[in-house]
Amino acid sequence: MSVTAPRVAMRPARDGWSGLVGRVGAGAVLLIALAISVAPGVYMLSMSLMDNPQLFAGRIIAWPLRPENYPQAWVASDIGRLYGNSIVVATASTILTLAISALAGYGLGRIRFAGRGMVYALVLVGLTIPVQIALIPLFINLRSLGLLNTRLALIGPYTGFGLAFGTYIMKGFFEGLPRELEEAARLDGAGEFAIFRRVMLPLTRPALATIAIFLFLQNWNEFLFALTFITEGGMRTLPTGIYALLSSEFYGNYPILAASLVLFSIPVLVLYFVFQQQFIEGLTAGALKH
Amino acid sequence: MLAAFLLYPIGYSLWLSFHEWNGYTPRWGPFVGVANYLALARDEVFWKATWNSIVFVIVRTPLEVGLGFLLALLLNRKMRGRSLLRTFFFVPVVMSLIVVTIIFQRIYEANTGLLNTFLRGIGLEALAHPWLGDPSTALGAVIAVSVWKNVGFSLVILLAGLQGLPRDVIDAARVDGADAWQLTTRVIAPLMRPILALTALLSVIGGLKVFDLVFIMTRGGPTYSTEVLATMLYRQAFELNEMGAASAIAVILVALVLGTAWLQTLLLREGGTSRAG
Repeated sequence: MSVTAPRVAMRPARDGWSGLVGRVGAGAVLLIALAISVAPGVYMLSMSLMDNPQLFAGRIIAWPLRPENYPQAWVASDIGRLYGNSIVVATASTILTLAISALAGYGLGRIRFAGRGMVYALVLVGLTIPVQIALIPLFINLRSLGLLNTRLALIGPYTGFGLAFGTYIMKGFFEGLPRELEEAARLDGAGEFAIFRRVMLPLTRPALATIAIFLFLQNWNEFLFALTFITEGGMRTLPTGIYALLSSEFYGNYPILAASLVLFSIPVLVLYFVFQQQFIEGLTAGALKH
Repeated sequence: MLAAFLLYPIGYSLWLSFHEWNGYTPRWGPFVGVANYLALARDEVFWKATWNSIVFVIVRTPLEVGLGFLLALLLNRKMRGRSLLRTFFFVPVVMSLIVVTIIFQRIYEANTGLLNTFLRGIGLEALAHPWLGDPSTALGAVIAVSVWKNVGFSLVILLAGLQGLPRDVIDAARVDGADAWQLTTRVIAPLMRPILALTALLSVIGGLKVFDLVFIMTRGGPTYSTEVLATMLYRQAFELNEMGAASAIAVILVALVLGTAWLQTLLLREGGTSRAG
């Protein structure tokens, strides 16, 4: 109570001339930052609607518009197949990671067992370790298993490398659920798995959604493994498929390339804008919990 | 399961790093001890790559965390369009690196690229420049893209941190007559220290691992001016077929990343106790 009164009294002073300058300055900085954030994306969109003469004349705004770049890009980059591969790979690995990390997170968060601290330490190491350490061993193993240039070559590693993140978030979430729920279910005669499946799992939907969105975006955009494990055209995903365009005859044709990039980005951006609230909040909650 | 995914590759890489192997024969070649490491130590490109990785981190992290913190502070008050701004600042983070890289290649292009066109337009013709083609500016140009892409991530985490600060402490400081600058440097910044450190750590680790951006944008060139450890690893393994040497680089990279994480936890813990004591 005593704190609020002086604050009200101070308001006029803060809103004086210097306050106004401060606010205008802050607004200007934010607007400049906003422009810098979105400009490259807008430029990509504009480029995708130009033709080469416009582009090389240094035009920024496309005019006249050439929407026919899009069907051309769709055909030229065989983007339909790339889409198919990316959707299968990203979806399958995301679902697998979710299933395993829900179980692992439940075990770590709610069951006491010997070596739990060790396992959790491994999860934390897994969060920080560079994926490059596994690049060569995976390449060799996938080759000897004859799995290079198959979808499994990506689904397996993506699943594995999503686990640390998934388990970390799920563990935190399971820990936060009240004990009473579990005890009530136990009194009703539910076994451990039934408690997990029927009582706990439905409550973790927000965490599952966060992980799913995050991993899907990560797998959708992944480049290093896709570049190394898929060396022939047919099974390429979108990032390496687009990358291959750079060394094809379309290299000089930036508008077509830009149109391919826009087509590639649309699912990611739609997913982000639809779920951004949940995505950002889940991510920050995960990062700030210690 | 997790252990298999973590320990097996580390162990395997460590093992391979002590052997010579071109990757084609079914089994690894002869045991060569630390020869791979010694060869790296004599390799100028390796030192160049290490140095570039360090420069990458040293330049990128303060910019990323600093700019992210500035924007977070500016966004941390009641204003119209705040969540909309946050949404847009985060867009570069979710954009695919290959998309970002190709756009920026175009922006940096020497003759008709956006940046040079803009510089000529405002009369700074002298600054127009093949940004990625010149060894003296290539690394800086790549780092700038990296900062652009990741500021939104720092911003979002720091903003959430700011919103979690105890209101009463800040109100009390305000009552005591602290102006905005004092409030930020004396009250908010110390309270935010752990979260700033976390953001910095994530940025350092991300910087050490950087691959896609450099690989697609410059392939480490021109004349190795942007070669970093991760791109050198890829080249050694899959272009020069030196699996042993590449594994040695992987081991060094992991040691650097885990070392940084460990050092930071240590520093933070010490900082915490000294402040308390």
